Amino acid sequence: MIQPQTRLNVADNSGARELMCIRIIGTSNRRYAHIGDVIVAVIKEAIPNSPLEKSEVIRAVIVRTCKELKRNNGMKIRYDDNAAVVIDQEGNPKGTRIFGAIARELRQLNFTKIVSLAPEVL
Amino acid sequence: MLTAALRSSSSSSLLRRSWQRVLPASQRGLCSSSIVAGSNDGGGDRRSLLELGEVEKILTDVRADDVKVIPVGKRCDWVDYMVIATGRSTWHVKNIAEALIYKARFVKQKQKGVERMMLPSVEGQEEGKWIVVDSGRVIVHALDENARAYYKLENLWNSDPSHKEPSQDLAKAFVKIRPKNNSKKRVQTSA
Repeated sequence: MIQPQTRLNVADNSGARELMCIRIIGTSNRRYAHIGDVIVAVIKEAIPNSPLEKSEVIRAVIVRTCKELKRNNGMKIRYDDNAAVVIDQEGNPKGTRIFGAIARELRQLNFTKIVSLAPEVL
Repeated sequence: MLTAALRSSSSSSLLRRSWQRVLPASQRGLCSSSIVAGSNDGGGDRRSLLELGEVEKILTDVRADDVKVIPVGKRCDWVDYMVIATGRSTWHVKNIAEALIYKARFVKQKQKGVERMMLPSVEGQEEGKWIVVDSGRVIVHALDENARAYYKLENLWNSDPSHKEPSQDLAKAFVKIRPKNNSKKRVQTSA
């Protein structure tokens, strides 16, 4: 349940460290974003000497939420932090490697590129 | 990247614990192997997904460069083969993707003759930099040369299956290190 002003970790090596959500892409007036939603975020903290700098506005897709993700078979997946992967306008990840486990739902939501870079898919 | 590794390792270990806590409740109703099945297994006959041999044939027909097939079945349970191909230009990359889709849609669908079929999904088709054609157990990545050099996908999947985050040596983590004094002020050594 990510909403504007939410701080998210960055789960890739794009150069950003922490993002703050400012808008959820999709239908207007949407309250919360979950795993697999694209958000517009501003970089609050970045690694020095990286292509992304602080206070840059970028798009990201949410890959981990503290709010559990429910599946049809009754399984729920709950992470310990909120994290996102920085993407560009076309949906390609800006970083080259993803950290942490990724939920399988991202494959159905057309983020197979992120799933194929992930070390572990749940 | 140490902090990133720490964060992801702690979150994934706690995730497994919280994951297991919820699982026993669902085990009563459904078998646990349904987790691995995923949503791609719909009925084996109704799919016009591409097999590995067909993919290789199409890629040689389209004359894609540097085709590599990597068996990732051991380390990933959601896919068996990753095929990487390079296109010489944006148009070539789009052409590779279209050839695969054409084969899946027209040739196989006409053969099987079923109306409702699961076609391989394509991502990134408008921009011809990295197109992914996802057909179940085989995923084809069509990249152009810049993207291939940038993402280095073979390094990701060719490394040994037991590639995890570098395990922190617990003994070393708790060793006290005397801080180096870089300031001009002389340290007061207690007499």
